[in-house]
Amino acid sequence: MIKAIIWKELLQYRRDGRILAVLLITLALGFAATLNSWSTVETQQRERQAAVASDRATWDNQGKKNPHSAAHFSRYAFQPTSSLSVFDPGLKDYMGSAIWLEAHYRDPATLRSVEDAVEIQRFARLTPAWILQVFAPLLAILLAFAGIAAERERGTLRQIMSSGVPPQHLFVGKAIAALCIVGLLAPSVIAAVALAANTHDEVGLPGTGGRLAGIVLSYILYIGAFTFAAIGISARVAKSKTALVVLVGFWAASVVFVPRLASDVGSALSPAPSAADFQARMSDDASGAFWGGSEEAQQRRADVEANVLKQYGVDKIEDLPINYDGYLLQESEEFANGVFDRYYDELWGTYEAQSDIVRLFSIVSPTLALSNISSALAGSDLFAHRHFADSAELFRRDFVKLLNEEMIQKGGQDGYGYMADNDFWQTNPDFTYTPPPLGAVMSNIWVDILVLLGWTFAALLLAFRGVRFSFKQEAVA
Amino acid sequence: MSVQAITSQEKKALKTEPMQLVLLVTFLIASLYAVLQGTFFRQAQMEAITSFTAAQEESIGAWRDRLIAVENGTTAPTEDRWAGLAMDVTFPATISPGPLSDLAHGVSDVKPAASRVSLWRSVDRLFGNYQFQSPIDTAAGAFDLAFVIIFIMPLLMIALSYDALSEDRELGRLGLLLSQPISIRQLVAARLKVRFGAVAVIVLIACLVGLIAGSAGQDIGARLPFMGIWLLVAAAYFALWAALIAWAISLNLKGETTALLLAGIWIVNGLVGPASLSAAAEGLYPTPSRLAFLSEAREASAAAYKSQADIMQGMLLDHPDLTAENYSIPEYIRTAFLVNKTVDDSVVPILAKFDAVQAERRSFLSKLQFAAPSVLTLQAFNLAAGTDLERHIAFEKSVRDYKQSVAEAVEGNVIVGERLSLAQYDALPRFYHQGPTVSGALGSIFIPVLFLLALSTLLGTIAHANLGNLQNRIREN
Repeated sequence: MIKAIIWKELLQYRRDGRILAVLLITLALGFAATLNSWSTVETQQRERQAAVASDRATWDNQGKKNPHSAAHFSRYAFQPTSSLSVFDPGLKDYMGSAIWLEAHYRDPATLRSVEDAVEIQRFARLTPAWILQVFAPLLAILLAFAGIAAERERGTLRQIMSSGVPPQHLFVGKAIAALCIVGLLAPSVIAAVALAANTHDEVGLPGTGGRLAGIVLSYILYIGAFTFAAIGISARVAKSKTALVVLVGFWAASVVFVPRLASDVGSALSPAPSAADFQARMSDDASGAFWGGSEEAQQRRADVEANVLKQYGVDKIEDLPINYDGYLLQESEEFANGVFDRYYDELWGTYEAQSDIVRLFSIVSPTLALSNISSALAGSDLFAHRHFADSAELFRRDFVKLLNEEMIQKGGQDGYGYMADNDFWQTNPDFTYTPPPLGAVMSNIWVDILVLLGWTFAALLLAFRGVRFSFKQEAVA
Repeated sequence: MSVQAITSQEKKALKTEPMQLVLLVTFLIASLYAVLQGTFFRQAQMEAITSFTAAQEESIGAWRDRLIAVENGTTAPTEDRWAGLAMDVTFPATISPGPLSDLAHGVSDVKPAASRVSLWRSVDRLFGNYQFQSPIDTAAGAFDLAFVIIFIMPLLMIALSYDALSEDRELGRLGLLLSQPISIRQLVAARLKVRFGAVAVIVLIACLVGLIAGSAGQDIGARLPFMGIWLLVAAAYFALWAALIAWAISLNLKGETTALLLAGIWIVNGLVGPASLSAAAEGLYPTPSRLAFLSEAREASAAAYKSQADIMQGMLLDHPDLTAENYSIPEYIRTAFLVNKTVDDSVVPILAKFDAVQAERRSFLSKLQFAAPSVLTLQAFNLAAGTDLERHIAFEKSVRDYKQSVAEAVEGNVIVGERLSLAQYDALPRFYHQGPTVSGALGSIFIPVLFLLALSTLLGTIAHANLGNLQNRIREN
C-alpha cells in the first residue's frame, strides 16, 4: 500500500508545474552556487600558497639585520581554506585570513573578504550550503503542505480510509515521496563534493570522510524535519491554504529572521569590545606596564636586571656574557604573553557567549542548529578559526623567542647594534598548521546535533499524530 | 454593502482576528526592537569615535606641551631631545557615523571608522587592528529597520492580503457582495487600504521612534532631512509591494496560488536576486588578491630596508638642502621614515587598483540593481543613512592621502633630524572628511525611487485594468 501511495504522489508531483519549476530553479542555483564557491575556494587556496612562498622568500633574503628589527617585521600566518569550504564557507569571509606574528603584540586576523564585498552580499551568499539550508526546506514545504489537507478538501481522505489504509502508511508514503523529490537536489551536493576533491587543499582536514558523512546526515535530518512538519501541519489545519501560510511563515522566520535576531540579541547581551578601546587597553597592559615610565614598570625592569645579574653572578650589565637588550626583550615578551592570554580569552569568551545565545535560538529555528553543524564540519566556523589563531600565537611566541635568543646568545655587548647574518633567517622554521581532529569538533557541536535530532523527532511526532488525528476527525465527521 | 461598511468591517477584523492581530503585533515589536538596537549601535559608534579622538588628542597634546616647554625655555633642548620629533606627529582621522546609521547600518559595522595617522605606519597599515567585531554578528547581518522594511514588511503585507478577493470567491459569496452597490475595484481597494494602512502606520511609528531615540544628545534637525529622504525610499518600496500584491490579487487565482506566487516573488527579490547579483559582480569584477598585496608591501618594505643607504643618497641628491644633520636623533628614525615612504610609493598604485575594481563593480551593480528592488532599496537606504560602501571607501582613501600630505610637510625635519617648531606643527593640515549632504543623498536616491514608483504605477494600472475586466466577466456570467 505504501508503494502505491508513493507512486500516486510522485505522479501528482510530476503533473504539478510549480514543483517542477521550483526543483529546476533550485538545482540550477545549486550548480551555480557550487561553481561559484569552488572558484572562490580555489582562488583562496592558490593565493595562500603564493603568499606563504612569498613570505618565506622575503624572510630569507632580509640581509644583515638586527634580530629584533626582524621580529618587528616578522612573518605572517595564513589561514588555510579547507576543501569542504566549497560546500560551506561558514564564517570564513567574516574572519581574517592572515595574522601578523610581530614582536610585542598579538594581532587579530586581518584581510576579511567581507570588507571587499559588495553591500548586498550580506543579504545572501550563493553557496551550496546556503541553497540547501534555504531552498530545500521550501521545496519540502511546497511538496507536503497540501499532503493531508488537500485530501480532506477533495474528499479523498475518506476514500483512502475506506480502502483500509492505516494512518501510518499514508504518512510514510507521503513523506517518502516528498523526500524522494527533495533528494533530486543531491546532484548539486555531489558536484560540490567532487569539486571540493579537486582543490589545492594543502592542509587537509582530519577525518574528512567522517565530516562529509556528518554533513550529509545533518542535512537529511534537517530536510526530514521540514517535510514531517509540513505533513503534520497539513493534517492539523482545515485548509491547505492555511497550511501553506503557516509553513511559509515558519520557514521565513526560521531561515531569514531568527538567525539575524539571534545574533543581534547575542551581541547585545555579550558585546564585543570597541576595537580602539581593546587595543589601547591591551597595549597599555602588555607594553606600557613593562616599557613605560611608571614606577611599576621601572620596578619590573629593575627586577629583571637584578635577577639576571644574580643569575650570572656579576655586578654590572657590562659584565654579562649575554646581550642584555635581547634578554630584556624576551622578558617583556614573557610578561606580555600573560596579558595577551587574558585579553584574548576575554575576547573569545565574548564570541563564544554570543554563539551560545545564538544556539539557544535554535530551539525555534532548526536552520541555526544545522548551520552550526555544517560550518563546524566544513572547518569554517568560529572554533576552527580560534584553533588556527591560537596555534599561530603559540608559533609567534616561539618564533620571537628564537630571534631574541639569537640576539641574547650572539649579540654580546653590541646591544641593538648586533646584526644577524642572512644565513640565520634561512634556518628559521615555518608555521605549520594542523586543524583540530573530528572528535574535538564534535565535542563542540553535540548540543546542535541534539537540537537538530530533537527537531526531527518532534516534527515526526507532529506528522504521525497529525495524520492519526485527521483520520479520527474524518471518521467523526 | 458599501465601501464604508467594508472598511469598518476590515478595521474591526484587524482588532479581533487573532491571526492578523498576532502578525501586526509581532511586526510592531520587531520594528521597535530594530529601532532600539539601532539606537544602541549608533551610540556605541559615537562613543567609540569620541573616546578615540580624545585619546589621540591627549597624546598629541602631551607631545605639543613638550615642544612648547622647549620653545619657552622651560626645558633645555638637550634635556628633551625627543620634544618636537617630527616622526612622532600623530593625528586622529575618523569618519562620523552616518546621519541615520541607526536605521541602516550598511557597511559601517565592518569597515574601519578611525585611524591613528602616524608616520611610523605605511599607508597599508593605517587601519590596523580594528577587526575585533564578532564574526557571528557580522555574518548574520544587522537586524536594523532597513532589514525589517525590506524583508519583513512585504511578507506581512502578503500574509495579510493575499486572500483579499479569493476567499470570497472560494466561499461563494463574491457574487453576493457584488450585488451590493460596490465594484470589485472598490472592494479590493477598501480591504487593501485598511490592511496596508495598518502596516504603514507601524512603519511610521518605528521611524518616528527611531528619529527621536537615535537623536539623543544631538541636533534632531540635522537628521530630519535625511529622515525625509529615508522615508521617501521606504514609501516607494511600500508602494511597489502594495501594487505587486494588488496585481497578484487581480489575476483572480486560487488563494493558495496567489500566496505561492507572491512568496516566490519575495524569495526572488530578497534572496535569489541579491545572491545572484552579488555572485555575478564578484565573478565579473574579482577583487585583486589582498594576500598578494600584502606580499608586495612586505617585499617593498624589506627591499627598502636593505637599500636604505641608496634611498637616502637619492633623497639627498634630489634635496641638497637636507644635508644638515642632527646626529642627536637616532638613525633608525630616519630609516623608518624612508622605508615607509618607499613602501607608500609602491603600494599606493596597488591600492588605487583595488579602488578601481571596486568602483567598476559598484558601477556594474548600479545598473543591475534594477533587477531586484530589494537591492535597489538597500542601496538607497544606505545612501540616505550615510552608511554606504562608497562613503567608506572615500574615507579610507582620504586618510591615505592625508598621511602622505603630513609626511611631505615634515619630510625635511625628519631627514635632517630637526625638531618641528610650534608654528610648523600648528600649520600642519588636520584631517577632515566631508559627511553626507542632503542634496547628495537626494541626488543618489532620485532615480531608484523614481524607478520604484514607476514600477508601482505600472503594476497598479495593470491591476486596475484586470479588476475592471474581472468585474465585467462576473457581470456577463
